[in-house]
Amino acid sequence: MSSTIFRHEFRSRLKSVLTWSVAVTLIIFFYFSIFPSFADQTEMLNQMMAKFPPALLEAFGMNRADLSTVLGFYCLVFLFIQICLAVQAGNYGFGLVSIEESELTADFLLSKPVSRGQVLTSKLLAALACLTLTNLVVWVSSFIAIALFKGDRSFDVGTLVLILLSIVIFQLFYLSVGLVISLLVKRVRSVTPFSLGLAFGTYILNAFSGVFGDVALELITPFKHLDPNYIVQHGAYNQPLVLLNLTITIISLAASYWLYTHRDIHAVS
Amino acid sequence: MNIFFRELKANLKSLLIWSVIIALLIMAVTAKYSAFVGDASMLKILDSLPKAMLDVFNMRAFNLTTLTGFYGLMLVYFALMGAIAAAMWGSDLISKEERDKTVEFSLVLPVTRSAVVTAKALAGLVYCFAFVLITWGVSLVAIRSFNPEPAFYSYLALEMQALLVIELIFLSIGLLLGCAMKQYKRSGSTTVAIILITYFLYVLSSMQSSLDFLKYFTPFKYFDASQLLQSGHMDGFFLLLSAIIIVVSLIGAYWIYNKRDLYI
Repeated sequence: MSSTIFRHEFRSRLKSVLTWSVAVTLIIFFYFSIFPSFADQTEMLNQMMAKFPPALLEAFGMNRADLSTVLGFYCLVFLFIQICLAVQAGNYGFGLVSIEESELTADFLLSKPVSRGQVLTSKLLAALACLTLTNLVVWVSSFIAIALFKGDRSFDVGTLVLILLSIVIFQLFYLSVGLVISLLVKRVRSVTPFSLGLAFGTYILNAFSGVFGDVALELITPFKHLDPNYIVQHGAYNQPLVLLNLTITIISLAASYWLYTHRDIHAVS
Repeated sequence: MNIFFRELKANLKSLLIWSVIIALLIMAVTAKYSAFVGDASMLKILDSLPKAMLDVFNMRAFNLTTLTGFYGLMLVYFALMGAIAAAMWGSDLISKEERDKTVEFSLVLPVTRSAVVTAKALAGLVYCFAFVLITWGVSLVAIRSFNPEPAFYSYLALEMQALLVIELIFLSIGLLLGCAMKQYKRSGSTTVAIILITYFLYVLSSMQSSLDFLKYFTPFKYFDASQLLQSGHMDGFFLLLSAIIIVVSLIGAYWIYNKRDLYI
């Protein structure tokens, strides 16, 4: 771990962290501002829905958390936060080491008296610190937004904390998968197409999993692994899927270290 | 002309990757549909549902037991993929010259800057067409086994036209950003912001009727799948609005690129 690299990486990302934090805060407040009027409408709907067979509701994914409750609505908002966080973490992951090659600074960095393992560790920790800053912003603005707009409805703080705790697992997944993909391909010219493709690809897979029962494909998307609706319904994580998620993260990280220390990095010619 | 062919070749890999992604999506989703359509008991429950309930869940036009209804549901996801691809192509076609430090080279060629933009825009256009045709083709192959009624094919054609228009909107916005941003890195991140914002607005505007006015700000809502099914054609007003967005962005792109300082 080299503190110089850490500091440089951290500082160069601060502006991006600020932008994402503002974006996430805006999303939370914007969506929550329609919660009071929305909740009243859905309460009527829920009474109607109670009469239908549960099998049907399940088929259409309507057995999800109910939108008239604070946490049910929060699940909906959280999905959009997740998309943003996925793009952000993916950006950092894909750009973590590839940016040195595309900006022709790789040979400068590697001529320093720091091992490649140390370079990667410092960079990873710096990116993680940046993601954690955004994570904290999500925590704070979620609590404030809920307190502002919940009215006289009550909610279970423990479950909300559980949902918010899942963020760090979620971010680590995109960070490490992005990193390993960027090391597997020959050259990353531009980071955004990669991270957008990864984030929205997994999001769409998850979106369809709700419509019709179960097919194995959604098992690969973190949106399913850390589905807030599941957490609200069961008051706990979906353990096998979270373990699967963590396994993928750890394997990607290990593979990244191996790939990076063995990578053939071209000097500027 | 040389620039056009060179751009076509240079981005082929990206088109290939997007095609694979969209093909996988269609395959995965039609697999789901086939599991669902065989379940007779589910169809029975659906038939017995009151209309009001279907209304609430936006299934009004989408009878999900038919292929047409099912594809209606898919349109926004196709549009999302197409929009990301097109916007990325648009901004990347222009800004990559600066990123790869080749912009000086391409601008000392005996062509005007406008000609460069034109060649690049045309390459992007060809890619958008290719994307739509691939989506269309894969869909036709994937649904063959369901023996859909003839009306489905015309609806599919309509959806694909809507997809093309949405793609062209995002392509021209991407081109504008690529031309306008002084730093090449900004054009990528601004494109991301625009896609995220318009998609979130789309979701918001479908959630509550009082937020309906938001539909003017998000191309995803311009050609609503259920409205396409009911009317059988694309809304004239929104077609005009799309055309205006495209033309204004393109004019802006040419105008700015012709007089700006390049980042070297």
